[in-house]
Amino acid sequence: MQSKLQRHRYLLALVPFALIVLVFELVPLFTVVLRSFFPEGQFGFTLAHYAAIFSKKLYRDAVFNSVLIALLSSVIGIVLAFFGAGAACRAGAGTRRMFMSVLNMTSNFAGIPLAFAYIILLGGSGVLVLLGKQLGFAPLAEYNVYSFSGLLLIYVYFQVPVATILLIPSFDALHKEWRESVSLLGGGSVVYWLRVGIPVLLPSLLGTLSILFSNAIAAYATAYALLGGNFSLLPIRISEQFAGDVVQHKEFGSALAVMLMLLMVAAAAINAHILKKNTKEGQ
Amino acid sequence: MQSHKKSAGSVVVIVLFLAYLLLPLLLTFLYSAFTQWTELLPQGFTLRYYAEVFADTAFLISVLRTVAISILPLLISILAMLLVMYVVVVYHPGWEGVVQVLCTIPYALQGIILAISVLSLYSGLPLPFSNRILMLTGTYCVLVLPYVYRGIRNSLNTIRADRLIEAAELLGAGKLQAYLRVIVPNLRSGITVSALLGMAVLFGDFVVVNIIGGSYYETAQMHLYKILFRSGQLSSAVIVVLFAVTLLISGTVFYQTGKGNRS
Repeated sequence: MQSKLQRHRYLLALVPFALIVLVFELVPLFTVVLRSFFPEGQFGFTLAHYAAIFSKKLYRDAVFNSVLIALLSSVIGIVLAFFGAGAACRAGAGTRRMFMSVLNMTSNFAGIPLAFAYIILLGGSGVLVLLGKQLGFAPLAEYNVYSFSGLLLIYVYFQVPVATILLIPSFDALHKEWRESVSLLGGGSVVYWLRVGIPVLLPSLLGTLSILFSNAIAAYATAYALLGGNFSLLPIRISEQFAGDVVQHKEFGSALAVMLMLLMVAAAAINAHILKKNTKEGQ
Repeated sequence: MQSHKKSAGSVVVIVLFLAYLLLPLLLTFLYSAFTQWTELLPQGFTLRYYAEVFADTAFLISVLRTVAISILPLLISILAMLLVMYVVVVYHPGWEGVVQVLCTIPYALQGIILAISVLSLYSGLPLPFSNRILMLTGTYCVLVLPYVYRGIRNSLNTIRADRLIEAAELLGAGKLQAYLRVIVPNLRSGITVSALLGMAVLFGDFVVVNIIGGSYYETAQMHLYKILFRSGQLSSAVIVVLFAVTLLISGTVFYQTGKGNRS
């Protein structure tokens, strides 16, 4: 008995990790899922909170806006990154190293500082707005950064460096000979990208897109600093349910949080599905 | 000729990217160093706002709070991870999958969901559970797990841990002694990198501290939010200072990993 205990004493090393993960990750997450089915303030089972997300315009808008801004910023971000990563792979070693370090540096520029920088750039007395006024260019002079398009612009900014950093390694894996083979067979640049380049890159493009989508849909600080509660986004509406010390809507907030998790899972699942279908077709 | 044209094209693309990415940064810096910007060009160069920032005790204390609340969770997470890896490496390599999943969940879920999960579970309970600092520390431990795991795992991949432990045992060391004296010192660069990455993440965190810490614990990011609309110049100076710190941290990571790859 004694010796058996001693033989398993090494398992004590698991305790700190298990404690952290249980107390601050698994149990809280499990509670959120469970609580989303409770009626407010009591035990039981109800789907009313989920129904409310879709029946109340405020929350339906939050879901719609969040999905739309995450989708748009990811797609625009990845298209820009496609050209950036391609250019990085064709550039000389020195240029490339400099480019990489700028990408690394700017990927740290996010949240409140980023929102503020865009207010300086495009806010009421922003530099580009002043420029627009001076040139008499109305779209710039009357631009309102505190809007959906302003927020989208900022989201695209933080997507671009992340997407480019993630795509560069897969562009490196494109062999030069493939392009030469295509041109020997009489195909131009367009044919090469449509028939060879993009199909080869597809797994990493989709993987990157999925990361960008999660990044954007869960982003909080930027929108909070720019628009406060004036624009309906899922993360903002979630945090509002838990903000008060006295009045909290924990059950409804939990349902919103589960909704956000489901959207992220759905994005990953759709990616995996497209990828699977594509590899099957290829065979 | 063809390749010359192509590389010229890529240089143009890179220049456009650099302009796009650096413009907001540059602007924030210029904004912090001039007294007014109502014409097209800023006027009245001054460092007065930086002097103000460094004379502001509320800001300096908030930076110290940020450092304190970043270092403690990092130490706890690194220690916990080293202990788990002892069991995984020495006894049960098959358990690593579970550890990996548990360490990836926080990365996939991100701050907002972690923060409200912890807050909603513990905020109604009696002390010490409802202590905000405790909640914040715990959530930060979980938030940095993905980085701590990656750093230590990457380091483990570069050594043959099983062979090294066998060799140490042949020389008379116990398993734990072998792990602590032979393996852990070899993980030093991985631990450093993960600590710095985690530090950069926690230093820039706003969502978790805003939701859990609220007004109870004002970190540098919270302080920035508080003064954001009071004075544009002062806020940009704070942003520049905080960004410089972040750059210092992530620049060290860049340098450290580069060094690791070369050697």
